[in-house]
Amino acid sequence: MNRPLLVALWVAALWAPAAAAQPAYSGQGIEMRVEPRTPEQISAFYEARGFPRAAVEALSKACFITVGIQNRREDIVWLEPARWEFFDAAGRPVERLPRAYWEARFEKLGVPPASRATFGWTQLPEVRDLRPAEPVGGNVTLVPVRGTFTLVARFATGSDRRGPVIALRFDKLTCPGR
Amino acid sequence: MFRFAVIAICFWALPLAVSAVEVPEGLIALDGRPAPALKLTDLDGKITDLAELRGHWAMVHFWASWCVPCRLELPAIATMVKTKPESLALVMVNTAETDDEVFAFLSAVAPELTTLLDRDGQVTERWQPRGLPSTFFVDPEGRLRYLALGGRPWDSPAYRRFLASLGR
Repeated sequence: MNRPLLVALWVAALWAPAAAAQPAYSGQGIEMRVEPRTPEQISAFYEARGFPRAAVEALSKACFITVGIQNRREDIVWLEPARWEFFDAAGRPVERLPRAYWEARFEKLGVPPASRATFGWTQLPEVRDLRPAEPVGGNVTLVPVRGTFTLVARFATGSDRRGPVIALRFDKLTCPGR
Repeated sequence: MFRFAVIAICFWALPLAVSAVEVPEGLIALDGRPAPALKLTDLDGKITDLAELRGHWAMVHFWASWCVPCRLELPAIATMVKTKPESLALVMVNTAETDDEVFAFLSAVAPELTTLLDRDGQVTERWQPRGLPSTFFVDPEGRLRYLALGGRPWDSPAYRRFLASLGR
């Protein structure tokens, strides 16, 4: 089975029922798929993995976007969600909740190490030098937005990050159930 | 003098024997830093200590049952296990799941495979895989030599040749 399909399957099957829209992009040597998740999907996934009730409640209040990316270039593509822009229909920035936010939150909630580890593996890395043909998949979490929002994902390229910057735009995304 | 020559040839020949076989696509070479400690038990409580596998190559594979690429890769691993060199140790490590979850999953999907249990996920954290699944190759001196990017077709001819070269 080829790797893009594996990534797509992972992204699709990590959470059982898929949300309605599945924006996808393929070009400039990057394949990228973005899929918002419903609070019910989030609750079901983490509840089934034994997460404490308080953690499940906190997680289901955030907006989860599952992202799958594959580097189809011959050089390195830098995955750095901190460089990505999220903004609502009025152009106001939408806050991303980085790993550090969840680590602090889980600390307060007393979430056990095993659950924290599992959560970490379900998130998109904060930094990754994607090698040629390398796939990556995981979630980014946002403060929930009413209405639609836009993602502009920027990627530096080249081992020294001096290659062309690639910007991919996904419009009309939503946080389902908000 | 003779002993020195034999040792020198062994040091020279070990990497050469591996490099003679093409490294398949999807494996990247690592810098040879020492592998992190790994000492865990399996579902029966049997302890495996990576340090005790010195002298042979070890394939250390991190996985979880909720990870779909991990699940898709398992049949290839199950097939590969039947043909891999005996001296190549397969060390499977489940990341942060319970004994019940792992037993229910493996007994249904790949009963021929055994796995160690990293119950709190901390061993996996120390190894810093690039994601799940992840497979590291540890050389006979206990150093990290290769990393597989995501799930790989371990039962394909290119991978079989590569794995066979590690058993020489």
